Amino acid sequence: MFIARSEYDRGINTFSPEGRLFQVEYSLEAIKLGSTAIGVSTSSGVILGVEKRVTSTLLETSSVEKIVEIDRHIGCAMSGLQADARSMVEHARVESQNHAFHYNEPLRVESCTQAICDLALRFGEGAEGEESIMSRPFGVALLIAGFDEDGPSLYHAEPSGTFYRYDAKAIGSGSEGAQAELQNEFHKSLTLEEAELLVLKTLKQVMEEKLDSKNVQLASVTKDKGFRIYQDAEMEEVVAKLPKN
Amino acid sequence: MGGFDFSNHSRNAALHAQGFPLPTATSTGTTIVGCLFDGGVVIAADTRATSGPIVADKNCEKLHFITPQIWCAGAGTAADTEFTTSLISSNLELHSLSTGRQPRVVTCMTMLKQHLFRYQGHIGAYLVVAGCDPTGAHLFTVHAHGSTDKLPYVTMGSGSLAAMSVFETAWKGNMTRQGAVDLCSEAIKAGIFNDLGSGSNVDVCIITPEKATLLRNHITPNEREKKMRDYRFKKGTTAVLNQKIITRADISKYVTVHELDDGTPVAAEKMDVDT
Amino acid sequence: MAGMFAGPQEMMGYSFNTAPTSASEPRQHSFYPYTDNGGSTLGISGADFTIMAGDTRSTSGYSINSRHVPKLFLIGGEGPKNKGARIVLSVVGFAADGDALKEKLDKEVKMYKYQHGKPMTVSACAQRLSHILYNKRFFPYYVHAILGGIDEEGKGALYSYDPVGSYEREQCRAAGAASSLIMPFLDNQVNFKNHHIPGSGEGHDLKPVVATPLPKETVIELVRDAFTSAVERHIEVGDGLQMMILTKDGVEEQLLPLKKD
Repeated sequence: MFIARSEYDRGINTFSPEGRLFQVEYSLEAIKLGSTAIGVSTSSGVILGVEKRVTSTLLETSSVEKIVEIDRHIGCAMSGLQADARSMVEHARVESQNHAFHYNEPLRVESCTQAICDLALRFGEGAEGEESIMSRPFGVALLIAGFDEDGPSLYHAEPSGTFYRYDAKAIGSGSEGAQAELQNEFHKSLTLEEAELLVLKTLKQVMEEKLDSKNVQLASVTKDKGFRIYQDAEMEEVVAKLPKN
Repeated sequence: MGGFDFSNHSRNAALHAQGFPLPTATSTGTTIVGCLFDGGVVIAADTRATSGPIVADKNCEKLHFITPQIWCAGAGTAADTEFTTSLISSNLELHSLSTGRQPRVVTCMTMLKQHLFRYQGHIGAYLVVAGCDPTGAHLFTVHAHGSTDKLPYVTMGSGSLAAMSVFETAWKGNMTRQGAVDLCSEAIKAGIFNDLGSGSNVDVCIITPEKATLLRNHITPNEREKKMRDYRFKKGTTAVLNQKIITRADISKYVTVHELDDGTPVAAEKMDVDT
Repeated sequence: MAGMFAGPQEMMGYSFNTAPTSASEPRQHSFYPYTDNGGSTLGISGADFTIMAGDTRSTSGYSINSRHVPKLFLIGGEGPKNKGARIVLSVVGFAADGDALKEKLDKEVKMYKYQHGKPMTVSACAQRLSHILYNKRFFPYYVHAILGGIDEEGKGALYSYDPVGSYEREQCRAAGAASSLIMPFLDNQVNFKNHHIPGSGEGHDLKPVVATPLPKETVIELVRDAFTSAVERHIEVGDGLQMMILTKDGVEEQLLPLKKD
């Protein structure tokens, strides 16, 4: 496989004869290696959940940041190369602040997602042949959750620069199983509390480690409180509600 | 005593050099015209007086009396046209008395130009002089620096180009009295509508050897529209912060007080007031 | 001494420092890229409407460039006639800058709709206009702008600007050549300044009239009276009155004649 493709693997902007961009496809593979992240949208807000892979007992779990704030009303969960996500989030934060500065109103969630995806396409050379700023596509996917004038919404953004809106979405290594579970369990009338449990339950099914309050992370976006990462005490409370087995 | 007082000149020059602005004079940024016809002469003027971009008087008189048979239309600084024409009017009357002859238009024009030349243009009077005397009907222009012209049709002021365009389009020799009045009115209207310094109404003066006829507000093409709302305030709308009552006994120490019969209208000078 | 006072024809150079210099001296040339095109605009906001108005005369010096140059522009509508626009910009001062500003704001509002999939609110547009003006802080658009629309609560909204972007939401504002004539009239008739309730007290205790939003019909009459009066006393105002009445149903435009002298 490696030998057959090598000719079209170098140029990031080079289509293969079959019409594929291998580097972009590989970047999607990188996400499948990442930890699982799940988002569920309800009528009153969005819940994001991620697994933290605690690879060592000596690891300080609070330093694993896989859910971050973009603005008061938007947050995101990531899966894949975390370092790449930093620059995407930084870009989104600047866009959001600029919008508020220019228009005296919060940025819409869709516009924020679009801004991130615009950045995701900045690999290869520019349209006028300018030197490129990125050598390869991003190796990370994002679940972007927010609350704007149209209510709560959840978006999934890929390194290819495409994005879609979802009611519930799972990304990362456990995404296949998790997405199937979400497909079965999701319904429009979920409450925020039910969504919390759905996210945890789904994570629990696909995680290799045994789920506890330290190796998962939850966050919510609501109208009143905006984006909020759950404190340790809250995490323990929610995890305790999970049925034991 | 007559004459100008120059005692503040050096002080004002120094103040202005330091950036203190000069007071703005009311100028009759104006359209004035004149036209000879068979048996006389017509002059006409608009009636707007301005102070910068503000209309100071909507219906001022720019046609000045010099003698019963000589009239003058004035443009430039309002005070200068007013005082210069009344000064020359007085001197011409004295001249007529001492010579025992009817004053001539050329005499008037000569006195004006000599007066204005002496002041090197500082008296901002731009005049159209017209009249009838024993030598016939005459029409002149006099500029502030003292130069003069004698022409069958003339225009002056900021609207002079607009007015002259009418004369150059429609003027013919040997005009009738009515033809001259209509042509002058059209020329003034061109100034009123196309020059921002001119506006409101058309005044006309027709001078024939027999008599002079002043047609004040001959044409009024700019009547004020009726206001849509009533702006009378209810009595007591304005806060009265303090009051002082002066009795008749107090005031009669300084002025003579007359009792007025009830219902007798008091004669006072009429003023144009917007209603 | 000669040249110390200029005659009426050269009224502009009324300075003691502009005595003629000899040909050998260095001479400073200057380029002044602005012109004042005169005219006046005003805006009044009500409970559920905003009215914008402006005369249509364009002047330079004592000349009339045109009797019909609109100062009110629809912002962010569709097609060449800006159909469906809900924001109106009025600009008075240097007409070329006003046109450029209108074009720029219109472009930005249209791009916003494409990028964010919703029409721009007046408050967002107001903030954007402020930034556009401030971006040219050291070579400003020589205009006094007023922005009108209906806000998110359905109330009439009116914002007024200085040439470099300082702005404020207000009930009413007059701008341009005759602003000093019209503004005190609006203060008195729209915000009831210097109006007291007769017999409500003595001296300082006399109660002021509390400003309440005026009905649309009254405001239209005030606007027409403001302009017919400004025309009487300002030489740069006249020819036509352009009015735009903004409500939740859209923008209605009216053109009325004014005196032409």
